[in-house]
Parts: sequence; structure tokens; C-alpha cells
Amino acid sequence: MERREFIKGLGASLVMLSSGVSTSALATDIKTNKKNLVWVMLRGALDPLHTVVPLKDDNLLTLRPTLAKSVVKNALALDNQFGLNPALAHLHKWYLDKQLLPIVAVSSGYESRSHFDGQDYLECGGNLNNLDSGWLARSLSGLSNSVISNSKNSKQTSSAIAIANSTPISLRGSNAVNTWYPANIKAADDDIYRQLNTLYQGDESLLQNLTDGLALKDTAMIDDSKKTSRKFIELAAACGNFLVKSNDIDCAMLEMGGFDTHNNQHKRLSKQLVELDSGLAALKSSLGSQWNDTVVVIATEFGRTVKENGTQGTDHGTGSAMFIAGGKVKGGKVLGDWPGLNTEQLFKQRDLQPTTNSFSWIASVLKQHWQLSDNAIAQVLPLHKAYDIKIME
Amino acid sequence: MPLEKQYESSELNDSTSLDLHKESIAQINAVIAVNRFGLGAKPNELTLAEKDPQAFLINQLVIPEFLPTQYSSDSIMQLLADYQSQKQRDRKAVNTSTVGKNIPTETANSLSIDTSHANGGAPDNDMAEPRKPKNKPPFRTPFIELTTSSLQSAIDSPNSLSWRLLQFFSNHFSVTAQGPFMTGLAPTLEREAIAPNLLGSFEDMLLAVTAHPAMIKYLNNEKSFGANSRLGKRGKGLNENLAREILELHSLGVNSGYSQTDVIELAKGISGWSIANPKRDKQTGFLFRSNGHESGTRKLLNKQYPQSGIEQGQAMLVDIARHPQTAKHLCYKLAKHFIADEPSASLQNQLVKTWIRSNGNIKQVMITMISSTEAWQPLPKKFKTPTEFVISAYRAFDISVPKGRKFIQLLTELGQQPFNANSPAGFSDDEQDWNGANALMTKINWSVRLAKRQRKKMAADLIVNTFGQTMTESSYKTITRAESRDQALALLLLSPEFLRR
Repeated sequence: MERREFIKGLGASLVMLSSGVSTSALATDIKTNKKNLVWVMLRGALDPLHTVVPLKDDNLLTLRPTLAKSVVKNALALDNQFGLNPALAHLHKWYLDKQLLPIVAVSSGYESRSHFDGQDYLECGGNLNNLDSGWLARSLSGLSNSVISNSKNSKQTSSAIAIANSTPISLRGSNAVNTWYPANIKAADDDIYRQLNTLYQGDESLLQNLTDGLALKDTAMIDDSKKTSRKFIELAAACGNFLVKSNDIDCAMLEMGGFDTHNNQHKRLSKQLVELDSGLAALKSSLGSQWNDTVVVIATEFGRTVKENGTQGTDHGTGSAMFIAGGKVKGGKVLGDWPGLNTEQLFKQRDLQPTTNSFSWIASVLKQHWQLSDNAIAQVLPLHKAYDIKIME
Repeated sequence: MPLEKQYESSELNDSTSLDLHKESIAQINAVIAVNRFGLGAKPNELTLAEKDPQAFLINQLVIPEFLPTQYSSDSIMQLLADYQSQKQRDRKAVNTSTVGKNIPTETANSLSIDTSHANGGAPDNDMAEPRKPKNKPPFRTPFIELTTSSLQSAIDSPNSLSWRLLQFFSNHFSVTAQGPFMTGLAPTLEREAIAPNLLGSFEDMLLAVTAHPAMIKYLNNEKSFGANSRLGKRGKGLNENLAREILELHSLGVNSGYSQTDVIELAKGISGWSIANPKRDKQTGFLFRSNGHESGTRKLLNKQYPQSGIEQGQAMLVDIARHPQTAKHLCYKLAKHFIADEPSASLQNQLVKTWIRSNGNIKQVMITMISSTEAWQPLPKKFKTPTEFVISAYRAFDISVPKGRKFIQLLTELGQQPFNANSPAGFSDDEQDWNGANALMTKINWSVRLAKRQRKKMAADLIVNTFGQTMTESSYKTITRAESRDQALALLLLSPEFLRR
């Protein structure tokens, strides 16, 4: 697929800029069955035990004398075993509405403890030694192929938007990806763009960026004249706008950092989780009725040590937690097998033992939500197979 | 226009006149020297570089000079400690005072100066003060002053290669300005620990950085104590953060063969490396807390470290700095930063050779890079980071940066707020991380705005100052034939030649 196709659904291009054609006039090819996938990456290794709290595990209070105390009492009840961190009020409501699936004790399969390496691994889709290709980009290509073969006459396309300053690894390797990030500098007058178009004739990437940049300018629905914030809540709302406003964009990536809580964890994580929770709520609300056709996958590179460290925090560990949410997700239960927190049950006697693989859960989403075939999934995540568990209605 | 004629004639004569050919090669090399190695040409700089571009660069390898400032990590820590004590006193004062509590809003407003009377208190008493704190928290001002003055020095400097090198290592040892403490301390690391060691051995730099309060605080080592130390027995524990990032990011590099046990052993080796609490310890800066150091022999990367106290960690760091993997990791990063996103194996090998022969002497490694043939390939293989882009624009225009926080805000807009990489890995310098659609739109908006304020300048002059006659004819024509002067200036900043290096 040509990257240029991304622009088609969005509208504005240099041609229209000079001819003054309205941007909405071109978006005629309404896509049937639009299925959005939003991938939210939490950077810094979220502590799973402080997020989806194993209330019934007796070891928790022993291993985390200060940390557990601060979260056990006010945890929002999930099932008879787990509770959600009290900062995640919206997510808890989704759970009660059966639109959220928390998954405990997951891991991407990455076994060391480096953030950056672990994040690369999670974004690439395994240790594939190629930072130029991410699993989300590959699944997007898989989706376009399946859509094209299913609807012979229609020229429907799929594209992705990363709410970031540059293309994250998850979305590298596809021609149908763009990035958007809010700016606070007043927009330039239009006539500079024509000159730049000439100036960039010999530089393919700059020319492409110019074309894409002009198209993006009009789609975020953020008022240029107002100061925009880069808070997760605003970015998540803009992300929803892209999905709703564009016929082509059905894939998006959001990211949020600051989960590396080596010290003072409770206070720091409370603030982080509130931001995450209200951001996800903003995403849902900007999606409107498309919430029913959207699946949100939220995951982090790995977990943290089960024992709290000397500074009321935790260090890098293995098993973590993830979430799948959406209007048609078969939610309201906690997935994943709980391994227990006895010393002999821990991974290398220190981390939460992972019992299921994050990529297999992702594969299940791709299969059940995007209808990717097992063959297509083997292209996207060669080391993993989808779980045979019904996660969509 | 005479300049344009000169431009065209040189293109025509290029192949016919040997002298002119030599001249144009010298000019291409001068442009490479000031753009690829330096931070972009200031007026006249190209002329200085032209005679001997390699010598021009080698002469620039001097320790960068900072503008004088009243702030240092010591003074900032003292200021913060004083501020916190003052805040505590204020809080106590507020808690014990009932001033103004039940006064309706209107009355409170009209009596805002004198509420103490309404409550029968003495006029001008101290208790009314905390409600209107006069003192701002003492970390933003130092942050802005230190950061902008460094950027200004880089813009003004005739030795911009050294400033690039400083920025490289400052990003290599990235610290993030988050929270009051780190906001104040983050910009002091490059001045106090990196710059003094910039042209010496990497081992000295690693030791200085690891013992600097900014790094210790950022990666949580100030309260990392061995489990069997006196402080450890009181419930304080080990924190692996600094040790891990030293191995993974600062020295050997990820996947270089160290294990989790090595991380813990190094963490134990540097346990007790802490910072003074000005109130309790009656001093500032680095403080080795021997009662928090894990005693005993350590084993790191198959070598025993029987030393005790601070010497143990120092011995470990020296060996890590001298490790061949460190040479490989750092030389790769340097070649990648200056020459190409994917530097050639031959260039990397030359640098590693010099690194090992000179025991990690950074100046010698830079001289090897400057002397390599790979460095002088005409095709630009790097895309400027936002900071490099902005600095080179200010250098080309020969103007000073705006006062206060404006310059920092601009870099934030462009995605590279100083000391805010948000991760100890620092900012990337890969083209794919900076050459994006949205980033370009922001650059366009900013360039247009800057150009509008510089209308008196002539784009054609600036082109000659910055690129001599090496700019492609098509870029030259598009820029000089723009519909207005300021548009031409904006186009110059946005040209492929200016964005790449």
C-alpha cells in the first residue's frame, strides 16, 4: 500500500490548498465495519501488584510492609481475589459494566530488566532484532490485506496515527503511519507551503512529511489559537478525534511514561494512575458511539520486584499486568493464572512469575477484533499464537 | 544579483579550472567542518575553516567556557534546604494562626492587607506573612539561568565542536529535571562533572558523573544501602537503579554480557554513595555514608574487589570504564552522533583502536574521527536534532536568544526540552525520531516567525555565510526567488541543506 493513501481520507493536500476544495467533500468512501484498535504503552515498568492488587495473597503484606498497606484498604473490588488501585475509578466502572479485562501475571517473554530493551522488545513483537518494524505496523498491513480481499470493489484502506513526536517502534515499518503531537506555536501563513513543496522536490522524506503534515493539521480538532497541553488526557481525547473524524484511521498508539517507581511508589503511582484513568475516560468519551467498535490494549514492558526496596519503591521485575477494554469486550473478569507470592513461586525468587504471554493476548485481540487469520498473525507475531479464550462478545 | 552570478559561474567553471576545483573542495570541507562537526556557521566562520578544515576543528577541542553564574549544585542544595525549612516554619505558623478563617470573601478582599487587625492581632505580625509567600521555590530560576546560559554560550562559541561534544556527553549521562530537586540539579551535571573531563579520559568522567549529586539523586542511589550495613539493618535497603544504568547505558551497553548478579554487585559496591543533607550533615554535595556501605569482597564481571569503603566502587567503575565493551559502545555512539545513523565498521574500528591505545582519551578519539575519510563524505547522513537546528539558526542569523524561559519553551515545542529526555537513555539522535510530519510543521511555524523579525537580513548573504557555494542550485534558486525577504529567510532555515548535516 502506498503511504499517500493515508492522506486521501484525511483530506487536505497541496492541491486542495491551492484550489480551495473543502476537505470533507472528498471523504465519500464510508468504511463499513470500522474496527478501531488503540494501543497504549506505559513506559517505565508499571508495578502490577500495586495496580491489580492480589488482596487475598497473604504474602503481600509481608513482602511489602509499607506499600501494600497503602493500597489494600481502599482497593476497588474486582472479584473475590483482586482489587484495583483506587486511582482507577473509571476503569473500575468499565469492569462493572463488563467492558474491561484486567490480566494478571503477564510478560512479553523478555527476561532481562532493561527498560529500553524491554520496551523495544514489546514494541517489536519479540526479540526480532529489527527496530524498524513493530507488531502494530505489521498487523496493520495484515488488516489491509484482509480488508482488500474481503471487499473486492471498495478501495478501503487502513492507517494508523501515533500521538507522538516521532514514529514509535510499534508502528515502524508500515507506509500508512503518521504521527501527531500538539504544538503551541502559531501556524504559518499558507503560501509558505507551496514554496516548500518546490524546495523539497529533491528530498523525498521532507516532501512526504510536508504533505502528511498539512493533512494532519486539520484533523486533530484542536484549536490552533488556543494553548494546547500535552497531558495524557488531552492526547487521548485527540486520539479519539482522529479515529472518529477519519475514515481511514482505525489504529492508534498512545504512550505514557513515568511508571519507573524506584522510590516513594505509592504517591507517584497514585498520580500516574489517575492521569491514565482520566485519559482513558477522555478517549472513550471522544470516541462516542465508536467505543462499541474499539478495543484498547494497555501494557507495559515488564513488572517490578515483588518485595519493596529500601526506598518505599520497587525495582525492575518480570511479571506484570495488562488491560483489554472496549465496548464489545467480554469484560468483568480477571484473566490470567495467579502464580502466588511464596518465595518458591516467584520468578528467580524475586519477581512475579509470568503465567501467560502478552503477545498471545494481543494475538487474540487481532484475531477476534480485527479478524486476522492465524496465518496473518504468524506474520505479525511469529513467536506466538492467539489464546483460544473468548474475549470479544 | 552579483552573488547569483558568482554562484552560477563557479558551477560552470568547476570542471575546467583546476584551481577552482581545489577551491571548491576546500569549501565543501569547510562546510562539513562547521555543519557536521560544529553547530552551524556563524558569519565569517566558513572563511576561517576553509584554509585547513581539520586543523580548524582540532583547534576547537578546548574545554567549553561557561558564563559566570551564582549557582552550583552546592548552592542549589543549600537553597532548597533553606526553602524547605522556611516552608515548614510557615506551615506551623499557619496552623497555629486562625487569621482570616471565617471572614466572608468580600470582607477578606477589602481588608486583605490588614486582616490581622480584624482578629485582634498585632499589626505587621509575622503570622500574616505565610499567607502570601514572597519567595518562589528556588529551583526554577537556577534551571532557566543555567540552561539558557549554556545554550547561549554554544551559540556564541567559536569552538562549537566542543559544545557539540559536551551536549553529546550530557545526553549520554542524561538526567531529567523532574521535581524541585532534579529541576535545580539537572543542569549542573554537565558543568561540574562532564565539562572538566571532556577532553581527558572517560574513566575520570564516569567517576565524576557517578559521584555527582544530580546523578545520585536522579537514579536513587542516595538512600541505597547494603542490607548488612548499619543503616541497612535499620530497614534501609539496596536500590539497583544507578548500578544498572551505569552498566547498560553509561559504559558497557546492553547485551554486552553482564548479568543481574553483576548489577547487584555493582549496586553493593556503590552503596553508601549518597548526597549530604545540608540541614543534618552540615555540608552539601557528595557524601559517602560508610555506615550504609555493604562490606565484603565483591565480584563483578568475574573479578574480585576486596577494597573497602568508597574505594571499592571506584575500583569497579575504573575497570568498567576500561572495559573493551565500553570502548565499543562509546565509539559507536560517538560515530553515530557525528557522522551517520549507521556508522561504518571501519570508522568504529579506528575509534576503538585509538580509545584503547589512549586509555579512553576522548580528545584523541575525536582527532581520529576528524582525521578519518568517512567524516568528510559530502553526502549528509545526519538529521539535526531540534536543539541543533535552533542553535544553528541563531548562529546563522547571528542573534541572541530570548531572555527567560522562552528559549526553553521553544525547544519544548520542538520536542526536545533541555534535561527532559524522561529517561536515563537520553534523547535519540536518529533521523527517524526527528524527521516527522508534525515536527516539520512546528519547524515551519517557528522559522516563519523568526524570519519575520529578521527582515533586514538578506537570505543570499546568509547562504554564502553558511554554505558558501555548496548549496544545490535548485535550493539556491527557490530561496532567493521567494516572494518576500522574510519568506526567503524562512526557506533557508527549512531547506534540506540546513535541516541535515
